[in-house]
Amino acid sequence: MRDVLVGDYLRGRGVSRRSLLKFCAAAASWMALPPTMAQEIAAAIEKARRPSVIWLPFQECTGCTESITRAETATLESLIFDAISLDYQHTLQAAAGDAAEEARHQAMKENWGKYLLAVDGSIPLANPGYSTIAGVSNLDMLLEAAKGAAAIIAIGTCAAFGGIPAARPNPTGAVAVSDLIKDKPIINVSGCPPIPVVITGVLAQYLTFGSIPDLDRLGRPRAFYGQSIHDRCYRRPFYERGQFAESFDDEGARKGWCLFKLGCKGPITYNSCATIKWNGGTSFPIEAGHGCIGCAEPNFWDKGGFYEALSVSRWGTFGTVAAAAAVGAAAGVASAALARHRQAKAPEGESR
Amino acid sequence: MTLFDFARGPGMFWATTIMVIGIVWRLAGAVLLARHKDRSTPRGDNRVAAGLRAVLMRSVPPHELEKHITFQHLTGYAWHIGWFVTFLFFVPHMPFIESILGFGWPGLPNQAIVMLAAITLAILLLLLVRRIVHPVLKVISDFDDYVSTLLACAPLVTGIVAFAHLFPSHHETMIGLHILSVEALMVWLPFGKIFHCVTGLPLRFQIGAAFARRGVKA
Amino acid sequence: MSGLAGIPIKIEQASGKLASGNVEPLLHEIGHALEQLIEVRKASIIDLRGVPLAPGEEDRILEFLGTGEVRAEFEASGLSTVNESRFPGVWVVTHHDATGDVMSRLIEITLVPEILCSQVEELRDSHERFALGVRFMGEPTADGIRSG
Repeated sequence: MRDVLVGDYLRGRGVSRRSLLKFCAAAASWMALPPTMAQEIAAAIEKARRPSVIWLPFQECTGCTESITRAETATLESLIFDAISLDYQHTLQAAAGDAAEEARHQAMKENWGKYLLAVDGSIPLANPGYSTIAGVSNLDMLLEAAKGAAAIIAIGTCAAFGGIPAARPNPTGAVAVSDLIKDKPIINVSGCPPIPVVITGVLAQYLTFGSIPDLDRLGRPRAFYGQSIHDRCYRRPFYERGQFAESFDDEGARKGWCLFKLGCKGPITYNSCATIKWNGGTSFPIEAGHGCIGCAEPNFWDKGGFYEALSVSRWGTFGTVAAAAAVGAAAGVASAALARHRQAKAPEGESR
Repeated sequence: MTLFDFARGPGMFWATTIMVIGIVWRLAGAVLLARHKDRSTPRGDNRVAAGLRAVLMRSVPPHELEKHITFQHLTGYAWHIGWFVTFLFFVPHMPFIESILGFGWPGLPNQAIVMLAAITLAILLLLLVRRIVHPVLKVISDFDDYVSTLLACAPLVTGIVAFAHLFPSHHETMIGLHILSVEALMVWLPFGKIFHCVTGLPLRFQIGAAFARRGVKA
Repeated sequence: MSGLAGIPIKIEQASGKLASGNVEPLLHEIGHALEQLIEVRKASIIDLRGVPLAPGEEDRILEFLGTGEVRAEFEASGLSTVNESRFPGVWVVTHHDATGDVMSRLIEITLVPEILCSQVEELRDSHERFALGVRFMGEPTADGIRSG
């Protein structure tokens, strides 16, 4: 099955070319490519070989898996999961225990050097017992699986940057995939969770172009993470005109004004929420009236409060300012005393 | 910790602390200096009114000098007003102000502020060039003058760069640099000529009051 | 969904020339593309989801385009509709997935959207199945059902 072309495989499954074209039209939109490229993307995907994908879920909440699978319903995104050969995903697969692990080893052996390794969840280093699969620590499993991978896709902010487990004080010593693996190409698909179509879009991009996409300085595909939420937000004209909601139930909020003052982290967050949106393009947090929390960025949990505007800085408290004033006063008194002493000692008539 | 986190966190804390220590130190040190007791008979007793008058009168050049320093006078006022309007009426600054004062006020449209900031920066740079080139100014200008000018320019430069998204994938860093430039200004404020923002008006008042005691209009 | 549907929510529509400011430029782009179609027969596709639009603006655009003489739909992993607008040459193509969510909405300025055409890549397979079907037409099959 591994050497089957994606196009033949899809046709064998009864997936028509129009279905593929529909998917590719959407994929072009996600990748911010011209919609006229849908035909080319379809042609490229058809000619690609089905890559083997091994998915390792580590210290995670399963939100990323839920985000992309929506296991109950078959959607067009599941088409891309037909296009790949998902050889191991222990949350989803029917096999369990030793049989599942055996399947994983088999898939790795058969596709050594060519499989895609998908990881969600962070890796705890403080104690390997914090997160294990079949008795094997996440760290050991990652190091072993990474050796034979062609590339690694770190899905979700936990795998990409450490995420929630790594938030202060990081009791499990959680780290990102890129903190441990330095010799393989890593694609960070961050978000808490990532937008479902971004995950499938990255896979589609890999199938279309057969290579790692263009990545930003944090290792995220530029096609999806190249622009900030602020730059594509439909509420941007309100920001420019200085019309801001001051509280969640005021007139500005009801009129859909900018949420900057209510803590929106849109200006420093790079993701596709404002364009691709969520739930099949229904809406995204800002459109629903809540500021962006910056979940696709590293350390988003520790960037000050979600409701603290970006321009608010931690200048201290009136107590610390009073203490500083007291120190200054003491220094001033000392300086004045020294100056008076010198003045008294200076001969009469000299004022220096 | 990123540059932005540092600027918003420890950077702002220490800049505020150093600024307050510096301001109180210099003020206390100046106020507590010994003064010779003035044993002359006071010739006027309207010292408060005279002090206030001096604040107003010394805010414009003396009539005799006006035509020689019109350029300096007008550009000086222009950039000061532009700088403070930009700081106080740009709406994204408002949460910062509210976190200190507990209240804010309506702002101006962003486009208006950006234009004002650009004009202010242009005037500052023009005055800097003038300072370097003018035969008298270049002799009497010192390190303090240049540093103070550059520190006044830096928040405008970094603010415009951040607002215009000139480095789109580094917006967080640009905002961090903007906050750091303000912190640099705060740290320098008590120790250089920028301290005139604290002492300027009180000093004019004091001169007016002191001269009034001697029966002289300041 | 339970009582959530019973909560009265009033959405204030973006009004005036405020909101996103993208409606007019988009309509101008469509007009320009129509000119290109007339002059040099160049087809264009505009991805409506690629433009930031305030709530209600997409509906305004679709309302303006309206529906014309041709309405087509096909089922391919979900329903897709291909409607000519009231302006010949301007088509609105909407792709839904199997759950009914809108996957993409495109405005195609063309004589007929390519997705309506039969796919060349499938013609060979189509011909093989057709020939097979004709060959076995009239012959009883194992379950007694005749083909054709």
